[in-house]
Amino acid sequence: MNFYYFSSPSTFYRLAGKLAPWFFALALVSGIAGMYSGFVVAPTDAQQGEVYRVIFIHVPAAWMSMFTYFVMACYGAVSLTFNTRLAAMMARALAPTGAMFTFVALWTGAFWGRPTWGAYWVWDARLTSELVLLFLYIGFMALANSFEDARRGDRAAALLALIGLVNLPIIYFSVQWWNTLHQGSSVSFKGTSMHVAMLWAMLLMMFSFWMYAIGVALVRCRTIILERERRTQWVRSLT
Amino acid sequence: MDHNYFLMMSYGMTALAIGAELVLLRIGRSRALKHIEEERDLETQD
Repeated sequence: MNFYYFSSPSTFYRLAGKLAPWFFALALVSGIAGMYSGFVVAPTDAQQGEVYRVIFIHVPAAWMSMFTYFVMACYGAVSLTFNTRLAAMMARALAPTGAMFTFVALWTGAFWGRPTWGAYWVWDARLTSELVLLFLYIGFMALANSFEDARRGDRAAALLALIGLVNLPIIYFSVQWWNTLHQGSSVSFKGTSMHVAMLWAMLLMMFSFWMYAIGVALVRCRTIILERERRTQWVRSLT
Repeated sequence: MDHNYFLMMSYGMTALAIGAELVLLRIGRSRALKHIEEERDLETQD
């Protein structure tokens, strides 16, 4: 299989158009299943009561915020190294969704923190580094759009994304490196301390968010392709 | 403390954020298609 074939914007545009609805459908089905598991099947937490159910969006959103940034930085690295147009477009396409997930993680964390810690916000290492991640996303988008020449914007933003990668291990290990109010991880490769129904609900929501992020990134990348390639014959033949 | 309020605020904002992103996505695509048509019309006039 020749992968260079798929790096052509015209090929990718058509492929993304076919794939995106499937990703949205998977996101919807797994999201409904996750909500059902989270609100109907999963038992009430003995200590936190019903409010713990925020976990089913807070944790997947936080994971997605970091994972999306990692993928965005990888696309940035590919675009810088190989000067590929599509990789830069994908990096741009992922940034708003990553920012949205980071905002959701911070917001839901605040509304989980208030009843459990007694405060919406504390300058805890985990919370602060997650807030820095939101600023990195905003900075990426601002920088990418601040150049007249889109390709220069791509390069500057990719560089920022790569520099910002250092924040990801800080977020992940912050609960181990510092004495934080935020709890440690309940799920790891070694196992989990959660009830199996809670874990399934969380994993289903995680899958749903993942599918949603891919679907949205594909659709947004198609829009970016339309804008950048609007003077080409193949784009004009679309409308 | 009423836990429903915290759940509603969390899930409500998530739904709002996803909804807003999908609306913006649609607006962006419509705008891109409009630009293409406008440029084509201008070239036709020339």
